[in-house]
Amino acid sequence: MIALVAFRLAAYVRSHRVYQALLLALALLAILYGSRAPKGEETSVLTDGAVLIVPVLAWAARSLLDTEPDRQREMSAIQAGSRGKEVAAGLVAAFATCAGLAAIALGWALLLGVSATPPPGVLVAVIALHALAALAGTALGALTSRAIMRSPAVSITALLLGFLATLLLSTSPLYWLTVPLIPWMRAANAGDLLGRFPELAALSLVWCLIGLAGYVWRRLRTS
Amino acid sequence: MRSFITTMRPRLYRYSTMRLSHVSFRYRWRDPLIIEDADAELSPGDVIELTGANGAGKSTLLRLLAGLARPTAGTITGRPAVVGFAPDRFPAGQPFTVTQYLRHMSRVRGGAPWEPWAERLALSHLLGLPLGELSKGSAHKVGLVQALMAEPGLLILDEPFAGLDADTREALPAIATEVAAGGGIVIASDHQAGLRALHGVRHWSMIAGRLKESTSDTPAPEAEPAATGAATTARDAPSAAAARRSGPPGGPSERRHATVAVTLPAGDVQRFLARMHGEGFQAREIEESG
Repeated sequence: MIALVAFRLAAYVRSHRVYQALLLALALLAILYGSRAPKGEETSVLTDGAVLIVPVLAWAARSLLDTEPDRQREMSAIQAGSRGKEVAAGLVAAFATCAGLAAIALGWALLLGVSATPPPGVLVAVIALHALAALAGTALGALTSRAIMRSPAVSITALLLGFLATLLLSTSPLYWLTVPLIPWMRAANAGDLLGRFPELAALSLVWCLIGLAGYVWRRLRTS
Repeated sequence: MRSFITTMRPRLYRYSTMRLSHVSFRYRWRDPLIIEDADAELSPGDVIELTGANGAGKSTLLRLLAGLARPTAGTITGRPAVVGFAPDRFPAGQPFTVTQYLRHMSRVRGGAPWEPWAERLALSHLLGLPLGELSKGSAHKVGLVQALMAEPGLLILDEPFAGLDADTREALPAIATEVAAGGGIVIASDHQAGLRALHGVRHWSMIAGRLKESTSDTPAPEAEPAATGAATTARDAPSAAAARRSGPPGGPSERRHATVAVTLPAGDVQRFLARMHGEGFQAREIEESG
């Protein structure tokens, strides 16, 4: 499966599709961290960055999964030995891409976006939030990829509306019904990120895994 | 005369008899059935030619056999572990050269050797070209190489002769024969009757979603009774004596070749192989059973 992951990543890079997501991410980061945040706001600035990068990561995941022609996807499944391995390889490659972009975002934020390094506990929480953002982007991108949504117009609309719906729902008391992006930001602003981290991280993880399971189920059911 | 596969990788095919039991398929609920109540058995050593009109369900049947689609009803059992699938249209819109693509596919297959197949299918001079710049026939060859490189127990060829040059069209029946002689199953949908010259080939046809097997065979003019009987035996029991013949019907006898499986006591294997080698034949041990 690792060889198939490498094949997917190589195709993504060699097709130059990676630059679309990379340029979009760099533009977002340039705007977000155009000037350093005052000392003491590190937690909220870094958390906001983790939330706002999610749609870019979803775009990257969708783009990677759509790079492979449909017929090649079938051939890859046969080569790998099963449809499940092909689906898993695609998700691993998509997550690797999202994790790479999230690492760039976090590195940029720490180097150019804040005036001081946050305390170790906060830093660990922020790294975890970026990992969860990568997972959320992978799930959203996979659910809107061509294997699930044939129409590019429907797909990109669903991706953007999906992110907006997540934001809106997570502002409500029903925030636990989705990845709680707004509660991440609120907790960071209130200086309570570490206190609420276990609850919010668990909710985020559960919804990401549900999204990924839905993708896998659809892919295997329609094969 | 030497077996190409023999020289490539002295490894066993995974013998397996596939069975289709009352297989029906439709793409969506309430769609008409594309394939209806198909029953068939594919034994190691079989070469099957699948014919039928456009839209009759040939490609769908091949997808079912490959495991790319699940039957709406019925079961398919006994699919060999290693499947090779060459599509009718190779997806050339990928950002790789031929070499890069085949190297990736080889790694996915655990390091299967692709270079000999590229050479045999006359692809060597195109290895540096991007896939997108290949002609239809050359791209088709890339699809064939990726299907053949892992010594498939089930080789599925969708319109394998379309767009190929004359040399490769002549080489393909021999390749199919070698895969079958090694215990693999070969099935090809074919409008151009490219495999019809092979002795012992089974003929399937799809007619309005129904799978039918023709009992008539096209005998090779030079076929000998002994070889015919052995070929039939191979279809039914791969461990028994088997023979397959290939080559242009009526062609020069020195171009014909056959692969023969012999069952003998394990203790006599080395002596037998030495004797065969001494007489100038290519021979190798395939399997120790019991």
